[in-house]
Amino acid sequence: MKKRGKGIAVSFYGTGYGNGFPDVSTATIRLEDEGKISISVGATEVGQGAKTVLSQIGSEVLGIEIEDIVLINEDTSKTPDSGTAAASRQTYNTGNAVKIAMESFRKKLFEESKELLGLNTSIGLETKNKEVYLKMFPQKKTTFKEIAQKLKKQKRRLEATESFTAQTTEMDPETGQGAPYWPYTFNCYGVEVEVDTETGKVDIIRALCAQDVGRAMNPTMIEGQIDGGFAMGAGYALFEDLGLKEGRIKNNKFSKYIIPTALDLPEIEKFIIEDPESTGPFGAKGIGEPVMIPVAPAILNAIYNAVGVRILELPATPEKILQAIKSYGKV
Amino acid sequence: MNNYKNIGKNLLRVDGKQKVMGKTKYPQDIYMDDMLYGATLRSTEPHAYFKIDISEAEKLDGVVKILTHRDITGENRHGVLFKDHEVLCKEKVRRIGDPIAFVIAESPKKAKEAKKLIKIQYEKISAVFDPKEAMKENAPKIHDDSNIVYHYKCRKGNVEKGFKKCDVIVEREYKTSMVDHAFLQPESGLSYMEEDGTLVICAATQYPHFDQIEIADALGLPKERIKIINPAVGGAFGGREDITMQIHIGLGALLTGRPVKVCYDREESFYAHSKRHPLYMKYKTGADRTGKLIALEAEIIGDTGAYASWAVNVLRKSGVHATGPYEIDNVKIDSYAVYTNNPFCGAMRGFGATQIPVACEQQMDIIAEKLGISPVEIRLRNCFRKNSVTATGQVLVESVPLDKCIRIVSKRLFAESEMVWG
Repeated sequence: MKKRGKGIAVSFYGTGYGNGFPDVSTATIRLEDEGKISISVGATEVGQGAKTVLSQIGSEVLGIEIEDIVLINEDTSKTPDSGTAAASRQTYNTGNAVKIAMESFRKKLFEESKELLGLNTSIGLETKNKEVYLKMFPQKKTTFKEIAQKLKKQKRRLEATESFTAQTTEMDPETGQGAPYWPYTFNCYGVEVEVDTETGKVDIIRALCAQDVGRAMNPTMIEGQIDGGFAMGAGYALFEDLGLKEGRIKNNKFSKYIIPTALDLPEIEKFIIEDPESTGPFGAKGIGEPVMIPVAPAILNAIYNAVGVRILELPATPEKILQAIKSYGKV
Repeated sequence: MNNYKNIGKNLLRVDGKQKVMGKTKYPQDIYMDDMLYGATLRSTEPHAYFKIDISEAEKLDGVVKILTHRDITGENRHGVLFKDHEVLCKEKVRRIGDPIAFVIAESPKKAKEAKKLIKIQYEKISAVFDPKEAMKENAPKIHDDSNIVYHYKCRKGNVEKGFKKCDVIVEREYKTSMVDHAFLQPESGLSYMEEDGTLVICAATQYPHFDQIEIADALGLPKERIKIINPAVGGAFGGREDITMQIHIGLGALLTGRPVKVCYDREESFYAHSKRHPLYMKYKTGADRTGKLIALEAEIIGDTGAYASWAVNVLRKSGVHATGPYEIDNVKIDSYAVYTNNPFCGAMRGFGATQIPVACEQQMDIIAEKLGISPVEIRLRNCFRKNSVTATGQVLVESVPLDKCIRIVSKRLFAESEMVWG
């Protein structure tokens, strides 16, 4: 017999290193010869989209296309330290560093433009389409390329380096009181499962994910993170097991260590919830880790709702579910 | 609405096209002239002293050098928090998979062949695999000191008094499993010397600037002489925070003067990088008859295996998140990180906060059922909102749209009758 059940779970997640440890990201912005803008950061692209999001943040400040940004992040001899690609911290931390550095770069760019345009002050200058222009008289303008050429002749470089440090406090060792993380990211996931009471197999037939993001930098990439996080969480809940025996990993290949495939996953309905965080770049918060957290408990709660058994030890394999159904389930 | 040009737009990934076209170069795709290949000999015992004899293996034609702890030019240690890993074990192994020797040969085949000729004589010592056992004073010690790496305490209000006020109390014990990141690209790296004496390590990593420091210390070189090239990374999820092959290939290139490459297969990769901490979670949660949470007590024990890696930070994060996103006046949480002879655990997506809701979110549903209210109601009754105060006393001053998340999901998932049960 197949029985259906629904379950929800919520979570909060403190992003960043935390506990008062200096969480610093540094970014360097430079005007390149052809008028392109380079962003140098030590932020690794692990597939989470750092290159794209950091380019979006940087280009937004100058009002240029992301194609006009060259993002350099592969070489320690060419990049400043932007911390680890972990703790869901790159969009928030390095994103802030890029934004601040780009704002500082823009000031310098305006100073150069002032000279080039023969103005008395840089007040009222703006940028658009790789041009710097006077808002009250747009004909008064120069291009990034012209500025770059002038600087090259003078053998000068236009660059700005800035850092951002997240705010946390160290907790008291006896009471644990303090402000260990910031910002926190929230979410609620719901699933509907179908449990086969004869085999113990669980099928996830519906999934709904509401994810707080502060401000969405790139909705498609957020949805990608939710898809991946959900898959990882489903594997954690239902399949994954190293088969540890006296320190030996029995399941050390993918024929034995079972991770979900697309066939194990339903269509995931996603809700991106925006509530901008004032300390984040354009309001953004990290979501890389949070997206997987509520999956397992939502599935476990749905299994209970379906067949009345509580699985207290992961993973919820068919064997465990079947045994629990036999001893006390509501079938 | 805002008028952003690029923010909030579904712009294509800047690295997307290259990846889709299969043109992106991962470390394994990089080759150099005159390149040598490495193979790592790893421990087959979880806890033992050993003696190594490389004399036969060294004689094999095509073998250029076999690195052991004696060859290390700097400090034979590394680690993200405590330097408790040895680059190559000196006399003791603490888990199956500990690196003992690194064979460098003209071909991968020769390196593997030579590996089989290395003789290891183990003197087994008693091992411990259960963190609760490992916490006992008379347990075998993985490192010199106590196996308890860390103890986090959170105290708020008074749980004894709190539980007396509760109409319902739920006590359960939960356990999560040790799992792998299962990233697509197994560890691979290439190291070579540049003409000016710079040692280049080309490997996929999450934190190149930290690897640079760890490699420099282990090789006894100034940081400026180490350059990390971090080409495309085939997934990480926390599994590329600790050093794996970087120092081995760096030392190989430094001592042979030739490029050295290593590629782990999937089986080796499982042993090479960290795992997710399995947590033993003992929970006691109490609420009044309206479903308002009054008190929570939790004891959380995390098995970090043979090395600490990020255990302190992971179990701290477990402790801080142990209440779930709920305001509770009386809280007592103790979380511990403990050494055992299991594979070592470190960072993995969610970092100690992923395990917690397996316990605390099931507790919520159990309480709700006992009180005859719905899972939605009990969460809305207690969830963090703007200006809520966490168990650590932190004020959530802004951007707390949790109730909105709950309402949106619940409305779509449940029928009206399922949301309100009481």
